Amino acid sequence: MKRRFPLLLVLIFGILGIVPYYIPHATYQNFDNAMRNDFLRILSAFAIILGLVSLMRVHQDKIKRKRENWQYSYVLIIGFVISGIIGLLGGVEGELFLPTKIAGIQFDIQTLYLNIIVPLGSTMFALLAFFMASAAYRAFRARSIESSLLLAASFVIMIGVLPLADRISTHLPSFAQWIMDIPNVAAKRGITFGIALGGIATSLKIILGIERSWLGGKE
Amino acid sequence: MKIIEYLSTLDRRIVYLVLATAVMLPLVIPSVQKVRVMTPVAKLFNAVDTIPNDKILIVNIDYDPQTLPEMEPMGVAVLRHAFERRIKVAVLSLYVQPLGLAKKALDQVTEEFNQRANSVADSIIYGRDYVFLGWQPPPIVPLLGMGISISNVYTRDYYGYRTDSLPMMRRIKNFNDVGILVSLSGATAPLWWIAYSQTRFGVAVGAGVTAVSASEFYQYYQTGQFSGLMIGMKGAAEYEELVESRLQLRDRRRASEALGSLTAAHLTMIVFIIIGNVGFLIRRRRDRRSQ
Repeated sequence: MKRRFPLLLVLIFGILGIVPYYIPHATYQNFDNAMRNDFLRILSAFAIILGLVSLMRVHQDKIKRKRENWQYSYVLIIGFVISGIIGLLGGVEGELFLPTKIAGIQFDIQTLYLNIIVPLGSTMFALLAFFMASAAYRAFRARSIESSLLLAASFVIMIGVLPLADRISTHLPSFAQWIMDIPNVAAKRGITFGIALGGIATSLKIILGIERSWLGGKE
Repeated sequence: MKIIEYLSTLDRRIVYLVLATAVMLPLVIPSVQKVRVMTPVAKLFNAVDTIPNDKILIVNIDYDPQTLPEMEPMGVAVLRHAFERRIKVAVLSLYVQPLGLAKKALDQVTEEFNQRANSVADSIIYGRDYVFLGWQPPPIVPLLGMGISISNVYTRDYYGYRTDSLPMMRRIKNFNDVGILVSLSGATAPLWWIAYSQTRFGVAVGAGVTAVSASEFYQYYQTGQFSGLMIGMKGAAEYEELVESRLQLRDRRRASEALGSLTAAHLTMIVFIIIGNVGFLIRRRRDRRSQ
């Protein structure tokens, strides 16, 4: 029963997700809408709580067992508690009862987000440019005809998207666009068809209970 | 030969330093770079420009801080376009993280317009000209639910007002009242709007995406599933160009200013790749001769 019940749930809700595309009747569409709008939202709210509790438990455990980089778990827990208190009691923009401005210093959620999360996130992503430049310099080599073609195409695209390209040749941006529109789309479409067919096959296997690895444990 | 060999085995810290200098210098004195507008962006601009009076524009802002510099100019340009044309706008996010950035873009553009306004009629007013619907988890709920009723999915907006009480939303029921939905995302959100909302309810979708993920989206543009496409900083700069040239709006163009930095970064990378390859070819030839 422990394994059959989740399989039954997946079968029922998997079919319920597919059927509305084929039955346009108002009664069924209303049922589908109610399931998605009410039932799914309630489930999602529980999933968020479950996720937060699980996150806390994982990091508490990490601190308790002094696992690798356990010190950072303190940063996460402290950040979580502080932003939770400010958000729940002070509101996103300080509209609730907890004061979020002391001595001219504002610390509501929106201010913290724009002044801590945004610069940190942008900085982390910006570092990618340096790693990409270094990796391209060391590894992007014309070793064969295929890699030479890739190199040539990348140069055309890299220059073609710049304002400078028009000054080199008015055909260069159009050629870069052509590479993206035709050879790129041809390759991508083939890959997409493969992924879509694979996705359909895997989904059917999960819905019909053939693929059970998601249940965990032994088969 | 020794110079070439030295250049082809540079320490990575030198590569970092040269790239950092190339990226930062053009940002010290920003200047607007003129760009040629390509068809995907022109199509998106025209799709927004021709929204009928009885329909609204939905802007789905789903970029996060990581992709903010590339994506925010797109959001700002689209909002400027819509507000200048007096197109009603509804802004939403599928995830919670981009909400703060959506609000930032909205605040910036409404402030720009309201500073220039001479009367209430000229101003951009919340509830009359635009609404901020906020976020409703999980994403599948708005993706499909808005095809039946927008105010049932977003019963309250970001600020807590009842959505159906806002003047603009009184005549807006579902996707039938939407001219086009423009999804700006550093991930795959635009594809979801096609897979779920367009397939089932036929809503027109336009997209703004990062340059690095662009190849994923062209196939859907080619089939006409995307009404138009903005790709990376260049796409944003092209939209800014259209907003300025067609609507005579002369606000700050951040994407067009950043193109100088983008040019320097691309050229630096190309030079490094060439140097690396010249060194590689020289070494390969020498090895073959010695064999």
